[in-house]
Amino acid sequence: MADFKNILKYLFLYHEPDIQEEFILKEKESEKAGKEKTSERRKEISEDKQKTDNKSKTSKESHESKLISKNLTDNIEYLKKVYSIPTNGDIVLREFEIVAKDKTIPACIIFYDGMTDRTIIDLAILQPLMLLSNLEVKDKGKELLEYISKHLLVHNQIQITQNMGKVIEDINYGGCGVFIDGIDAAFACDVKGWEHRGVDKPETESVVRGPQEGFTETLRTNTALVRKILKDEELVVEDVSVGKRSKTPCSILYIKDIVNDSLVEEVRRRLKGIKVDYIFDTGDLEQYLEDNPFMTTPQIIATERPDRVANALTEGKVAVVMSGSPFALVMPTTNIDLLQSAEDTYLRFPYVNLIRIVRMVAIFVSLLLPGLYVAITNFHHEMIPTDLLLAIEASREKVPFPSVVEILIMEFAFELIVEAGIRRPGQLGPTLGIIGALILGQAAVAANIVSPILIIIVAVTGIGSFSIPNFGLGLSFRLLRFIFIFLASVAGFLGISLGLFMYGIWSCSVKSFGVPFMAPTGPKTYSNFLEQFVRSPIWKKEKRPDYLNVKKVHKQAKISRQWSQDNKKKDKQQKYEIQK
Amino acid sequence: MKNKIRKFCILLSIFIICQFTSGCYDSREIDELAYPIAIGFDKGEGKFLRMSLQIAVPTKVAGGGEGGGGGEGGQSSVSITTLETPTIYSGLNMINTYVSKQINLSHVKAIVFSEELAREGIEKYINALMRGREFRGTAYVLVAKGSGNTAEKFIREVKPELESNPAKYYEMVLNAYGYTGFTAEAKLISFYRNMTSYTTQPVAVLANVSEFEDSDDITLEYSTYKQKGRDYPLPGDYTAGNMPKVGNIKTEVMGMAVFDGARMVGELDGEETSYYLMVEGKYGYSYVTIPDPQAKDMFVLLNLKQSRKPKKRVEMVGDKPQIYIDIKLEADILSIQSGINYESIEKIGILEKATEEFVKTGIERMVKRTVEEFGSDTFGIGESIKKKFLTWDQWVAFNWKEKYRHSNINVNVDVKIRRPGQKIKTVPAHGSEKEEK
Amino acid sequence: MEKKIIFGNREAISLLLIFMCNQLFLSFPRNMAESAGNAGWILTIYITVISLVLFLIISRLYKNFEGKDILDVAEFLGGNIGRILVGIIYVIDYVVIISVILREYGEDLKIISLVQSPISFVLALFAIGMVFGAFFGLEPLVRLGAISVPVIFLGFLITVVGSIKYFNFSNILPIFGTGLVEILIEGPSRTSVFSGLTSLFLIAPFLRSHDNFKKSGFIGLILSGLILTVGNLVYSLVLPYPSTTSNFLPIYQLSRLIEYGRFFQRIESIFVLVWSMTALIYLSAGLFFSAYIYKKTFKLEYHRPLIIPFGIIIFTLSLIPKSLMETMFIDNSIIRKYAWTVTFGLTLVLLILASIKIKVKEGRHKDEK
Repeated sequence: MADFKNILKYLFLYHEPDIQEEFILKEKESEKAGKEKTSERRKEISEDKQKTDNKSKTSKESHESKLISKNLTDNIEYLKKVYSIPTNGDIVLREFEIVAKDKTIPACIIFYDGMTDRTIIDLAILQPLMLLSNLEVKDKGKELLEYISKHLLVHNQIQITQNMGKVIEDINYGGCGVFIDGIDAAFACDVKGWEHRGVDKPETESVVRGPQEGFTETLRTNTALVRKILKDEELVVEDVSVGKRSKTPCSILYIKDIVNDSLVEEVRRRLKGIKVDYIFDTGDLEQYLEDNPFMTTPQIIATERPDRVANALTEGKVAVVMSGSPFALVMPTTNIDLLQSAEDTYLRFPYVNLIRIVRMVAIFVSLLLPGLYVAITNFHHEMIPTDLLLAIEASREKVPFPSVVEILIMEFAFELIVEAGIRRPGQLGPTLGIIGALILGQAAVAANIVSPILIIIVAVTGIGSFSIPNFGLGLSFRLLRFIFIFLASVAGFLGISLGLFMYGIWSCSVKSFGVPFMAPTGPKTYSNFLEQFVRSPIWKKEKRPDYLNVKKVHKQAKISRQWSQDNKKKDKQQKYEIQK
Repeated sequence: MKNKIRKFCILLSIFIICQFTSGCYDSREIDELAYPIAIGFDKGEGKFLRMSLQIAVPTKVAGGGEGGGGGEGGQSSVSITTLETPTIYSGLNMINTYVSKQINLSHVKAIVFSEELAREGIEKYINALMRGREFRGTAYVLVAKGSGNTAEKFIREVKPELESNPAKYYEMVLNAYGYTGFTAEAKLISFYRNMTSYTTQPVAVLANVSEFEDSDDITLEYSTYKQKGRDYPLPGDYTAGNMPKVGNIKTEVMGMAVFDGARMVGELDGEETSYYLMVEGKYGYSYVTIPDPQAKDMFVLLNLKQSRKPKKRVEMVGDKPQIYIDIKLEADILSIQSGINYESIEKIGILEKATEEFVKTGIERMVKRTVEEFGSDTFGIGESIKKKFLTWDQWVAFNWKEKYRHSNINVNVDVKIRRPGQKIKTVPAHGSEKEEK
Repeated sequence: MEKKIIFGNREAISLLLIFMCNQLFLSFPRNMAESAGNAGWILTIYITVISLVLFLIISRLYKNFEGKDILDVAEFLGGNIGRILVGIIYVIDYVVIISVILREYGEDLKIISLVQSPISFVLALFAIGMVFGAFFGLEPLVRLGAISVPVIFLGFLITVVGSIKYFNFSNILPIFGTGLVEILIEGPSRTSVFSGLTSLFLIAPFLRSHDNFKKSGFIGLILSGLILTVGNLVYSLVLPYPSTTSNFLPIYQLSRLIEYGRFFQRIESIFVLVWSMTALIYLSAGLFFSAYIYKKTFKLEYHRPLIIPFGIIIFTLSLIPKSLMETMFIDNSIIRKYAWTVTFGLTLVLLILASIKIKVKEGRHKDEK
């Protein structure tokens, strides 16, 4: 009863909508609005911070505010406690001595075995410290620190810090910490060297034309892959770490003089505002970032392809790359982006238009075909051509189930095969295919469980859902398909149009990072309406999408094929000369 | 966020409640319904109606799923039932008591009325059909010739040979007027439209079962050639049923029934029907046989086409309407039996003239029949005088239908022979001449 | 706090088109045929011209009230009493029209495809969509409108093109139908056809400037006049006059005629998708406006809690007429004859009085100076 009351309350009482970023078309206005709102937001963030600081003072405080002691043994004691040495197997804590002048200074190095590059530690850190250290050194500790950092540690990336928390963070991420007695600072050296996959072909987004490189699990490799394509000093790779415990490094990528500042601010705010212990993949991250978690359609694009990220960045979007995930997130996303594959810009435009049309049909089919079949065969018999009608009737004569149940059985069987196909070990692939084809294609019909026409419907639907370029969107349609089957079975075409209306309204109300999800069409922002569906020649795309409110609107000159103009000039000149 | 989960749950539960409390009232599986292909109306034993339904048997039509292979011989692909009933829909109710599947009329392709019923008037039936949502407007309206239960007889005799699906038979046969010119386009929607119109009157296709069982029985007795003052029948001089033919396909459609309002007033034979199509502007093309203008008992065969829409004009002379019909035709030569070189520039005029004369007399005769015999403006000639009136009331007061009965007809036919086929002249056979030498 | 809604001309025009043209799918062409015989299309043009003139006057007067909706004008004129009075009239206007049209769409679909279902079931489906749509507010609705208006228009176009082969130009003769005088007399009260224009006076604040208001009003009126005229013309071209008055759903009758060969016949059910989409957008927007006006009239803080009560009221009202005939009588003989008093009459009176008040005030100011 209480629940019911609550439901009624939720229905009847008004709840304030979440205030979202609003982009207004004109740049100046947008900046104003953005600033006002971001300032509000900053307040919120600072409030949040205060709150969380108050809460989590107990555990984290110890690392972060702990200063490194001058006494090496204190430090070693502390490290042993933190890393639970000797219980912990893969942590290496090696003590050694530096001979500086006449003094022998005890020191220690700590790192994770396996995450670090051993040869670098041996050659660039231990060797110079232990063997080459007998040069003249002045007595004072500070100068000793400077001397070691400037002359002895020949490694290229070294940070000196007095904060124990920083060192521990680095060690956790494949660095090594060097502690020296008598100095209240430590060296955090970047010696990452774990095993990882090389740059490989993108498995999920393969193309015929275009680069064949995909992201890997290493953050820096990924950022380097993007930077390699863009080669622009305005490209900013801003580091943020996510996860209270995991501290997974992430990078926000954007091009400083193109992107709308409030968009970057929003992404930063959301990333920093994620309060979670561990995070594993951008798949997780996406769910923490997106505006509307209950919308079936993905609102952030996850891509494996650096060229696609680079392309999005040049349009004024923001990408997030995370360590440990071969997928980058691109935001904001509108519905049109989900329908485009990486290849679209590389192919010449007539071919792309054909492919786009095929894709539109695929979407229509994968979303609505089973629903339409149910609606037509249950409600609107008159529109089936008589020959086909009699054929369907004959084939359904011996089938015991109503057509809704029939189609649900087949759709379920299809989903089963798809799921099994993803999970099965590689060698079993052909077996699965044979079983699937035999059972679904032949036996089910022979046993009069389903009618042959239905097999065609389900097969076409299945193929349709796989030709949608975005994996998430394909999944979302596979889910929605069942809702449409259900609606069609209730009220035929009326049910379907009710479903389309609701889905449409929902999509129109959703925003992805302040940009309306149906952007170029829903609120019409761009003068070229058809542009979004049908691609025009590449040299005609002069402007960046309007809805992103970028700082520089044009991305190519009015006449980008300048040479054609040059030729004309030459011709004229030549004619002129000949006339002379 | 919690709020949104709840909203989602509420929506979902509303849907589920919808499904379970109200159910799917209108949901009918295809295999729960029976689809009549043709429906026939006769004057029944009682006061009202005898209805015949030709219901498709899908397993026979489609060959039953797997190993059938379409149209097994012997068994009929349709099931026919006939019963007495006061009205159409109550009849369906009665049929549903013994036909296991619910009758759905959405795929009826042909509606057959018996001549008796048609002459009595079929307004109430047409109105009933148009009111229901199931009937399709593209169904054809047929009138089965003769007395008695001709509609039932006709439907029972429809046993298509070339196709397993009787629906396709009706569609193909009744659409053939585009290349035969012997039947009219008489769809239910246009029938209804013309029935209620103040100008045009509706028509229906004439249908009948062949009267000849054996080729020895064939006579030319029923042909209309004598009435037209010819010595021999030409291809169009028949109405359905009396075509001199025998064979497995017993049913025939030829000619058309002319209605005044919703009452049948007369019939036109095949040739007249093609003139009707010409005046209507719906004539496609067909092979026309014309007596040779210069050789007796020889024929010229032309492929006649309508090159432009006909022009119809009405002028009032006193109280009598003068009707002007201007028809433009094109023709290709198919055969010249006499071998006379009509293809040549000099002689083509003779053939064109003869054709014009032939078609003109035909049309004049036919229009005169509609004016004098039927008194029914079948071609919608009244449409062209409508523009002289400003308001509807004036037009109604003019009473065109009454005026039409007293109108004079002027027909002008223009034939252009465009191409002579593959041969540009006839080379006579040579064999016998050689022997003589 | 309400979000500030702003949308462009395109969205506003789409909304107006849906508000004014949805009756084309209902009994509008038949009503016209009943009034003017086969000259329904002339009547439609005449109505459009009258409405354009009236709107020209209105938009001139509205210049002084840029960024204000009709309720603000009423408040300026008569304070709280004025606002509440006008607000109540508007709420009643909307609720009655929406409930009648909800019923008509329900009956419409019941006749087209859901023959056995009880009317309450069909209406409930519409009502669910209506409440759902209104809940998300005006912005998604106009966006969806902007997306779906081209699709709906395409559906209409297919109907027109498909029935071209049934055109008989003598059907629109005699050219003046039941008589020019009758058309002239009938015309002014028939401007109620454009009662949907009231929505423009309500969205005026969202349209940024007076120019936009004027532009979207004119384009909306002209386009919908054009569409309604074409719809009427096609209908009377296909069917001869006396039988044009007999069909409950004229455009549906046209769509039944569409056939391309043996395969595409009787595809009218596809248009159910188009019509119900129009209906759902129209009804949701109407419901939103009723709640919104109510909120504004009584200066309430939120409109959302009002949506479900209003939805239930409209749903219940729509069930009151006993039969289709009664619904059609209400629509044809009451709403479509007297709705102009609210759309044009009330608006004009308000605006004229308000303009006079402004001038009087200005005069006073001058005097003071």
